[in-house]
Amino acid sequence: MHPDVTREVTIETTGLSRSYETYKKPEGLLKSIEGFWKRETIQKVAVHPTTLTVYRGQIVGLVGSNGAGKTTLLKLLSGLIYPSAGTTKVLGYDPHERRPEFLRRVSILLGQKAQLWWDLAPADSYELLAKIYEIDSAVARSRVRELADLLACTEQLHVQLRRLSLGERMKMEIIGALLHRPEVLFLDEPTIGLDIIAQTKIREFLGEYVKVERPTVILTSHYMDDISLLADRLMLISHGKIVYDGTVEAFTAKSELRQTLSLKLVHPPMQDVTLRHDFKISAGTRSVRFEMPAQWIADVLGELMALSPVYDIKIEEVEFEDVIRSFMEQDARLRAAGHSPTA
Amino acid sequence: MLGCARLAILQQLEYRFNLIADTVIQPVIVGLVELTLWAAFFHSTGNQTLNGFSREYYLSYAVWAAFVSRISTSWMYESMMIEDIENGTVNSILVRPISFYEYYLGQFFGYKVFTTLLSLGAPVAVCLFADLPLVISRLPLTLGLVFFYLLLVHTMSVAIASLGFFFSRIHHITVAKNITLWMLTGELFPLDLAPEPFRSILIALPFSSAVYRPVGYLTGRLELNTITEGFLSISLGLLVATVVATALWNAGRRRYSGTGA
Amino acid sequence: MLKYIGLFKSFFKASLISELEYRFNITVRLFTDVLWYAAQLSVFEVIFLHTKQLNGWAIEETRVFMGVLFVTDCLYMLFFSENLDRLGEKVRRGDLDLLLMKPVNSQWMLSCQKVSVAYLGNLLISSGWLIFALSRVSIDPWRVLYLLPMIPIGLILVYSIRFMTSATALYLTRADAVTYIWYQVYRLGTRPDTIYPTALRYAVLSVLPIAFLASVPTQVILGRASPFVLIYGALLATLFLLASRFVWHQGLKRYSSASS
Repeated sequence: MHPDVTREVTIETTGLSRSYETYKKPEGLLKSIEGFWKRETIQKVAVHPTTLTVYRGQIVGLVGSNGAGKTTLLKLLSGLIYPSAGTTKVLGYDPHERRPEFLRRVSILLGQKAQLWWDLAPADSYELLAKIYEIDSAVARSRVRELADLLACTEQLHVQLRRLSLGERMKMEIIGALLHRPEVLFLDEPTIGLDIIAQTKIREFLGEYVKVERPTVILTSHYMDDISLLADRLMLISHGKIVYDGTVEAFTAKSELRQTLSLKLVHPPMQDVTLRHDFKISAGTRSVRFEMPAQWIADVLGELMALSPVYDIKIEEVEFEDVIRSFMEQDARLRAAGHSPTA
Repeated sequence: MLGCARLAILQQLEYRFNLIADTVIQPVIVGLVELTLWAAFFHSTGNQTLNGFSREYYLSYAVWAAFVSRISTSWMYESMMIEDIENGTVNSILVRPISFYEYYLGQFFGYKVFTTLLSLGAPVAVCLFADLPLVISRLPLTLGLVFFYLLLVHTMSVAIASLGFFFSRIHHITVAKNITLWMLTGELFPLDLAPEPFRSILIALPFSSAVYRPVGYLTGRLELNTITEGFLSISLGLLVATVVATALWNAGRRRYSGTGA
Repeated sequence: MLKYIGLFKSFFKASLISELEYRFNITVRLFTDVLWYAAQLSVFEVIFLHTKQLNGWAIEETRVFMGVLFVTDCLYMLFFSENLDRLGEKVRRGDLDLLLMKPVNSQWMLSCQKVSVAYLGNLLISSGWLIFALSRVSIDPWRVLYLLPMIPIGLILVYSIRFMTSATALYLTRADAVTYIWYQVYRLGTRPDTIYPTALRYAVLSVLPIAFLASVPTQVILGRASPFVLIYGALLATLFLLASRFVWHQGLKRYSSASS
């Protein structure tokens, strides 16, 4: 945690949960006609009762696979969805009362959704936003310049939003979200769908920004990189439950991040080869694919390249759920062995 | 193509309320609103007949016009076709062994047959209940004419959709076209009330087969010759429309680079 | 309050900037509207070929009615139609979420964000027709001033009804049906309420006051209705506006409870 974080509570929840009803979709023509009159409903729990406390200045990374409940939790905290049970307090307010005083102090960014006006240049949208948040236009303009400089997108400020690329649009959205100096920032998948350069630039920017402005941030993502560069607190969510709440370092130390390395050898080996960690390659094999802990990749790759020039190198993340599962297994093992889990 | 029809029906059943509103509620309300106009006319003028037909004929016409005009207009499928072309999803249809025309024709007709059957009950009931002129035996031929007209509608839709290869946001053209047709089909008033020379022109055009001819025939206002004339004028119209649609489609395909959004 | 006026000015400016891009749009809309005007007029012109009066209205008076209809309709299209027609779409796409997090009245924002400046051209045409129609009718010219309060009243009522139908997007997954119904209700407003049977007349003057779109204002300026109708209209407008707010708030509660 940042050493000078005050113990002022920004967000706290008690038993916050969310479930909803949905319909079973009928299959086929006859069932569809039947479905005209009666429909089967099923209950789904999106978020199990959750109690948590977030302090001012904390950057919380909420990570989970798709459908795990992270966006639902974020929307519960920001007040967009009503809880089925439990309470939430953000900056002392009940978020779903949506008081203007509350809304002026927070901000939300939903990945791939645009809050800026499609047909306008971002600069014009910011003027509108300034009026909405009751910020003096001169102040707003200088703030925009400042942020645009950091994000290196000053030239695009006067280009219509619809003409910008996804990455540029996202940068503009970020400026829009930060215009009014929010104390609490809700970021939902801010880098989703972006190319690697835009992702990196945005991560760097956010990293700098939070150091200077010190907002409280709740950031959701299914990219670990989004979190590891920014968050000082990591919450893993799986099937609507928070399964881990601690630091990023503790997590990476405890879990075995596995990756898959695949590549092709220009000169297939003449005989069977055994590499470090017991990986075997039979004679004449051109395509190689191994799954291993992330730490081994560098060594194994080095060994393979010593064998022959390589091409078509791919390093793929293993499914997130597997990461979580492996973490849980590790954690369970440690607990059984008498070590207390990090929290 | 039958599969396409089935697809259309399944999609519609999903949105059940929407379906009822589209096929029953909407035409009933329109019919009733139009009824009031004609009832008011006869009430305030004290005339027994207008152009040789009594009040009941006009009321019946109003009710049926609302229902039939709904069948003979294409909003939804034309919009879908336009959207497909504008955002590039037409690619998925182009690679299939069925033409764009046929793919949507199947869906369009499936939808129209289904909704026609669903909504038939209302106007028949109204006429029987209020004792308005209606020759039930003429219904099959009437529907036959309307469905033949729908071929023309579909061909025009393809032609308009093809404009999507050249321009963007051509939804407005659909709107303009439908409003124009509104005036030409006899939905607003029986075309024989119009003064010459409009009267002859309007009736001669294939669009009169959208509402005026079928409704006129069904309600006993017109006779069999109107049906045969209708088939003829639609056929001529189809000829023109097919030529135009094919030309536009081919030109559009040439221009189309295969990229979408 | 000042904040909202200032914001509206900004919306107007922004709409102007973005619409001017689409000259084709503006032209087509003009053309389409002229067609619509022609269609509406054709019905009455044809009917009046066969009679001198319709329920006590002569052709000249009917033309005034059409004029008021066109102008009010144009104003509605200018300020509200695009916003309210797109409302359902915005809700379904999830764009509502971002709006709800802003310290601004969400109903107002959704209703007034876009000014369809393309209709300014139509406003000229419709006003022209109204002036033409008024010149052919013999009435006390001061009565025309009644349009000043009556048109806004009509607009508020039409807005409220339309808004409430659009707000059903918060309750239903697909609201195409409601849109159809709206068009039919609107259609009721395109005829003088005097031609309707009594029950319907009462309906369009009270529970579904679409008669205030054109029929009532016309009758006031033609001297066929007492100016006290103004007070009634104002009361009704306030009631409906409040009702629309209520429907919206309830809808938001439901939306926040039902979405995920």
